[in-house]
Amino acid sequence: MALRRSYTAIVERNARWQGDFASEPYEAAWASEAIFFVRALEVSDAFTGSARLQISADGMHWADEGGYFALPAAADAVSFCRARHFGGWLRIAGALAPGNAITVLVSLVLKE
Amino acid sequence: MTVISADPRLSRFDPLRRIYFYDDFDDGMNGWSELIGNYERSLDSMLPEYADMRPPMLSAQSMWDTGTAGSMQGTYSLKLASRARAGALATSIKRLTFRRRGRIQLECYFTFKPEASELRLSLHDVRAFGILFDLQDGMNPEYRWMPHLRYLNASGDSMVNRWQMKGATRAFSKIGDSGETVSHFHLGAENWEDIDLPPQTLAYNEIATKMNWHYLRVSVDLAARSFLGFQCNDLVYEGAPLSYIKMPAMPNLNCMLNTAFWVETNRDKRAFFYLDSVLLSGEF
Repeated sequence: MALRRSYTAIVERNARWQGDFASEPYEAAWASEAIFFVRALEVSDAFTGSARLQISADGMHWADEGGYFALPAAADAVSFCRARHFGGWLRIAGALAPGNAITVLVSLVLKE
Repeated sequence: MTVISADPRLSRFDPLRRIYFYDDFDDGMNGWSELIGNYERSLDSMLPEYADMRPPMLSAQSMWDTGTAGSMQGTYSLKLASRARAGALATSIKRLTFRRRGRIQLECYFTFKPEASELRLSLHDVRAFGILFDLQDGMNPEYRWMPHLRYLNASGDSMVNRWQMKGATRAFSKIGDSGETVSHFHLGAENWEDIDLPPQTLAYNEIATKMNWHYLRVSVDLAARSFLGFQCNDLVYEGAPLSYIKMPAMPNLNCMLNTAFWVETNRDKRAFFYLDSVLLSGEF
């Protein structure tokens, strides 16, 4: 039995997000399913924030896919969003309200 | 008859006696991972140059204007993508050990390009790409040594098109407070030397979404600790051995045989480096 290939890319590591943010584009046309896991390494006091999945045909022009998901509000907490049938490129993006900041480790887990 | 019976995937290589690995990226990532610096207790302890060397990906080379180009043979290639910040690097590494100190030879088919985010030639936008080995002797080791080969495409507003080697690295830094961890950054701008060859202009093609594949071969002798030479397309270097970085052996790296590729951007624009396939062969 052939096992399905999978790959985890750390698309952001120890990155600090304030204001507008987006993860680096990741090309994954080979995969049929994906999950972005966002782990907070550090958050500002009373942090609130959210992100949404974006998809792209060329890695440069982005369209929103689905709704927002909450970013983790405490250090070492994790949140995620799932994607299927997404085409070529993936990223997550959003905008944090003034006074909010988060340092993240973002793992993109892909599977054939 | 020979041509017809040959495996077309392998007949384009000239391997030594045995093959360590042959990676066709239509089959997956094949063990190529992101390079990261050493750290202790916190990621903040890492040398800043190593903090963000970007994960490799499998690319179908899909362009905004012409759709998918695919790879040299098949659909997918390994893609290194820097951030869109001048001087940013993307680096991918495969980690092995060797069992005999003989010659080794790395061959690959590669191409490179800036992100096609502007409708212009963008010839200067990739600063450099390169390949390195990170090696250490086996039993009773004397040295760790690191042959580096890079193609300096452009520097600032000038095209350079030169192959270069590196004979010295920065001093080691202590990482953390346990005394167990050190780190040194060896991909900085310093200490590169031109190899005694004329400039080589690689086929860049005429717009940012057209890519041509190139052949590269790099030869090293583990027994003699000699960086023997290289070939890129029809340019062959077989002169005096090339300079490399050398340091006393480290405690936990015996028989190390690591290969890494990197790409560096020259502007605030992503630089991409693609590998169709990589073959490491040797005498063992």
